[in-house]
Amino acid sequence: MNSVLSNKKTILIFMLPASLIFLFIVIAPIFISGYYSSLEWNGIGKGVFIGLENYKNLFFGKTNLFYGAIWNSLLLAALSVFIQLPLAFLFARILAGGITGEGFFRTVYFIPVIVSTVVIGQMWLKIYNPQYGLLNQFLEAIGLGSWKQEWLGNKDIALGSVFVPLLWQYVGYHILLFYAGMKTVPQELIEAARIDGASHTRITFNIVVPYIISIIEICVILAVIGSLKTFDLIYVITGGGPLHATEVPTTLMFNTIFHRVDYGYGSAMAMFIIFECLVLTIGIRKIFGRLSYDN
Amino acid sequence: MKLLRKGKLLRKGFKLTALLVLAVMVLAGCQEKDESADSASADDGPTTIKVWTLWTDTTDDVNAVAFRKALESAKTDLPDIAIEHDATQNEAYKTKIKTAMAADEVPDVFFAWGAGFVKQFVDAGKVEPLDAYMEDGTADRLKGGANTNFMFDGKTYGITFSQWVASLYCNKALFDEYGVKIPETYDELMQAVRTFNANDVIPITVGGKEKWPAMFWQNAFAVRTAGADTCNAALAGEASFDTPEFVRSAELLANLVEEEAFVDGALGLDYNESGALYLEGQAAMYYMGNWFAGDIAGHDSDIAENTVAARFPVIPNAKGDETQYLGGSIDGLSVSANSEHKQAAATVAKYLMEQVARNLAAAGEGLPTWNTEDVASEKSNPVIDQIKSQISNSTGYVLAWDTFLSGADADDHKNYVASIFGQELSPEQFATLMQDMN
Repeated sequence: MNSVLSNKKTILIFMLPASLIFLFIVIAPIFISGYYSSLEWNGIGKGVFIGLENYKNLFFGKTNLFYGAIWNSLLLAALSVFIQLPLAFLFARILAGGITGEGFFRTVYFIPVIVSTVVIGQMWLKIYNPQYGLLNQFLEAIGLGSWKQEWLGNKDIALGSVFVPLLWQYVGYHILLFYAGMKTVPQELIEAARIDGASHTRITFNIVVPYIISIIEICVILAVIGSLKTFDLIYVITGGGPLHATEVPTTLMFNTIFHRVDYGYGSAMAMFIIFECLVLTIGIRKIFGRLSYDN
Repeated sequence: MKLLRKGKLLRKGFKLTALLVLAVMVLAGCQEKDESADSASADDGPTTIKVWTLWTDTTDDVNAVAFRKALESAKTDLPDIAIEHDATQNEAYKTKIKTAMAADEVPDVFFAWGAGFVKQFVDAGKVEPLDAYMEDGTADRLKGGANTNFMFDGKTYGITFSQWVASLYCNKALFDEYGVKIPETYDELMQAVRTFNANDVIPITVGGKEKWPAMFWQNAFAVRTAGADTCNAALAGEASFDTPEFVRSAELLANLVEEEAFVDGALGLDYNESGALYLEGQAAMYYMGNWFAGDIAGHDSDIAENTVAARFPVIPNAKGDETQYLGGSIDGLSVSANSEHKQAAATVAKYLMEQVARNLAAAGEGLPTWNTEDVASEKSNPVIDQIKSQISNSTGYVLAWDTFLSGADADDHKNYVASIFGQELSPEQFATLMQDMN
């Protein structure tokens, strides 16, 4: 077996199908998008080569919707890392600590992840509805009628309103990842620490966190990348509105390509999103590389 | 012990997977598969013609019901042709057809909106002119001007089945309850808004999330302030938007917004939610196309009896009078220039459109663009009857602007009107920005 796997030819043959698929459905489209981004093209007729004009418009154009969209997605990434992940970690720690109904809660928290985003979007639309929505009705019922809002219609709070379901949806996913990691921490280590009089907090930060640092890294990367390319839930709930208040780069890209039929400009946005994700992933890996080295 | 735990975990994992599979299956089940798409037997005999439409909902949507009937009758009336029908929801359909156009995978016959939408495909040479196919007497059975919005350079690129027109639906029960008159002028509209607001009734509901229902309001005001001819000329780039008339159209809307005439959170409400407020009797007025009459008639309440389909209020001393409307004939079928069976495809398009028009006439729904006087209507929709008698003396139509314009212009226009709703744009700025397009 070992001799088979050490044969370079065999490796090549076994890797070939996967590599080809990867090449044609991931790498090639990126390059094709790169080419499209240099065109002025409505997607149907013939494109005209215009070089870097689309990128110039993207960054220095007179309507600067794109900056707002990037800002929104970065804000979401920050909230994801600093609110969603700590929350998931806390829940995972409690679950992994072995409480009654461990399996039950694990499944419950995971449900939002497996439910279709469109369903979740529709559900939150009903919750936020200003007339008969659950949220406004609830506020009314507990005597906080003055707090009632047009949750998705007011451009000042709509962004916050869409972030809540976005963060809520994937908490369960991160709980599961953290939970799986925590289960690999040797019990002897924790028991020994406990005998030595270490508190829960101490055990968490000095044993659990260092032990699962690689999982935390994966979670942070997933959360950041997921935030930067989030699309479906925002598309369903607000479609980027009202008045572009909840626009993220992907919704703007979709609108540019399919409603404004400007494939070139939209592709330039797509290229930026790819580039942005790549840079941030490398950045996060660098930070965590240093962290795990310190430990 | 460890093994046991593992077993437990596995079982849990299995349950989770099962749940996931179930969810996927349920979702897959939701995607309704079209019966007529089942054409396994079409390999030798009949010619297969692929048809794409946006008629997915065959319960409430009167057009979809009429179309489904036409598909059924086509099986016997067109024995040599097998129709393979595929339906996609409105917004998704726009994306789908554009993607198909880009990839040259257009079906033989496809649903299209006239004016701006189909123009981009016509310009790219993807649509077949149908004039030659209509010389068999088809043209005589169509009402005059039925396909105007599909005409480019004197050629017809699509066949319509009905026209649309927007009306101000008023809930008479609410108007009577608070002693308000159904508005005929702008001042009366304002008066109604104030009274309803004072009594905690939503004066006007509008779905601003999709932007086009909100856009209707400015468009309708423009039909009144500038008149249909000027609107059409400006949209075609032959007249200016930067005139007092168009500024006024935006100003009248801004005044309504100022007066809180529209439902709270209008910019976050989608089309269905906003319509529901009217159907449930919570909102007094709703400005929408005649397709909404079908929803009114199909709703389980007395809203159908209480609905008065009023003309859009007139503006005193303005160019447009009450016989001009926001509407037109813009929904139709086009034939792909790349189709392998153009003759058969044209036959299908002609047949389906005529049958849909006749089926609509029989059901007492819609405003057919074909001569359907010989069709005996089985039932009638009182709201549609009101609209029909109103438009019998119409003197002008303006299409919804986002369908007349195309691509970026249409999107910009909708955003500008949304900005008026959001009080971010002044009427003067609106007119200037619109003129920048021309």
